[in-house]
Amino acid sequence: MISISGLYKYFGGQRVLEDIHMRVAPGEIYGIVGHSGAGKSTLLRCLNGLEPYQDGSVKVTGEEVGDLSPSGLLALRRKMGMIFQTFNLMSRKNVFKNVAFPLEIWKTPKAEVEDRAMELLDLVGLADRRNDRVQNLSGGQKQRVGIARALALRPGILLCDEATSALDPKTTGSILDLLEDINKRLGLTIVIVTHQMEVVKRLCHKMLLLDGGVTMAEGATEDLFLSLPANLRKFIDEEYTLIPNGVNIRLMFPRDISQDAVITTMARELDIGFSIVGGKLERYLDDVFGFLIINVRPELLDRVMDYMREKRLYWQILDADGDSVHDHDESADRIMNRSRR
Amino acid sequence: MNGESGFPARAIGRLTEYGPDLWRATLETLYMVALSTFFALLVGFALAVALIITHPRGLRPNRPAYSILDWLVNLGRSFPFTILMISIQPLTRLIVGTSLGNDAAIVALSIAAAPMAARLIEGCFLEVDRGVVEAARSFGAGDMQIILRVLLPEALPALILDVAIIGITLLGYAAMAGTVGGGGLGDFAMKYGYYRFQSDLMLYAVIILVIIVQLMQSVSGFIYKRLR
Repeated sequence: MISISGLYKYFGGQRVLEDIHMRVAPGEIYGIVGHSGAGKSTLLRCLNGLEPYQDGSVKVTGEEVGDLSPSGLLALRRKMGMIFQTFNLMSRKNVFKNVAFPLEIWKTPKAEVEDRAMELLDLVGLADRRNDRVQNLSGGQKQRVGIARALALRPGILLCDEATSALDPKTTGSILDLLEDINKRLGLTIVIVTHQMEVVKRLCHKMLLLDGGVTMAEGATEDLFLSLPANLRKFIDEEYTLIPNGVNIRLMFPRDISQDAVITTMARELDIGFSIVGGKLERYLDDVFGFLIINVRPELLDRVMDYMREKRLYWQILDADGDSVHDHDESADRIMNRSRR
Repeated sequence: MNGESGFPARAIGRLTEYGPDLWRATLETLYMVALSTFFALLVGFALAVALIITHPRGLRPNRPAYSILDWLVNLGRSFPFTILMISIQPLTRLIVGTSLGNDAAIVALSIAAAPMAARLIEGCFLEVDRGVVEAARSFGAGDMQIILRVLLPEALPALILDVAIIGITLLGYAAMAGTVGGGGLGDFAMKYGYYRFQSDLMLYAVIILVIIVQLMQSVSGFIYKRLR
């Protein structure tokens, strides 16, 4: 659906994107993550030609975006909807007119505009607000109008530029539910730009971590969160003060293990004690997964490692700064295998 | 003249005598201002479109083209109105067939106000949220569609206020139309009030001008509130 290779983009003499590679398959939800100024919104705008690029290739449904004629570019944009952090609705049009606007731009017959706009307002749950002015809507409702508008022309791809960054956590959740629903029901390919890791974990099948215009990590979201490369960990910025004595081990829980009581079972079976430093369980796509950092006395390390190998757990031994000093080779291999799958 | 009678009676007497003249001058003023505001907006809009397309933050940024347009608009705004009116007489003759009278004044008024209108309309367009423009682009709107169907409707309330500013400015300029043989309230005030020392007639003309300005301002304010 989307294929980017060796993409470079400059603003004047300043390089903002460097050697970007990414592939998005049809029906996939793809996350582009990074801090503000990382170039992720610029990358998104290269997809629908709102930003030109200087080198490399951006192919959307087989067409090289940079080579399109002006009218070819408009036709491409017709196939790609976009939603924004600030919603970008027309303040002087009501809810219905905002949703109908793309259809009018493309000279859709009036009766069809009416039907399509109402169908979309039903989809986003705002049919009863059709005559309201957009200023009177809440942020979440405005974004729903934005989504309805972006879907008006039946695009195959939806681009989301920090679409939930201006919303509170609860509203963010409902918008993400809506996006997930659209992805499943309409088979829409979605590219999400965000600085919120929750959004990526919650929705994205694949992700690309961007920093200063450079790719820090790319791959299946679950694999990245299980292997947790240093760049990604730095971005997540979870800081646990580790216990200085003993050995700190990070245990990762993929979807198939998370529900089992791994830790208590290990304590019981090995008849040992250890301290829990910290941890987190999170919802990821339709599952729960997470990690736990435990601290064991050095003399117990061998037994614990044997147990973890036996149970085929994912784990890392951490040094005092929380950086991984020893990745269990076997678990790393398995993660690699999963990516290839 | 008849010093015996009191102020109200004298005023009524003068108004019956000069009323028709005053009324005709009012209509002439309204005629000149309305038409020249219309033409100034028309030309100004075309210029503003060129400005907003080439503007550094515009639809197709083009710095050299913008600089030239920008300079021309500033140049147009630098001329004192009377000087402009007299210096474009050949052009006026070309357009309306004469360089004298109300219609000649309208040509000069339109040309004088067009650069100002262009600037004001450009300002309104620049005030429109760039995100809204980007959204329109994202679903495939072309440049002209963005100008006519996004910028123009979104900027409309602010434009209405600017129309009043242009109209009021032209009302002031129109007072100088007498220089090229045009009529109107300004000419009336000069002719009867200033040259013939009938300061009461000058006062009446000024009162009517005050009323017109107030009306233009409050009507535009009212429309602005309704549109926003």
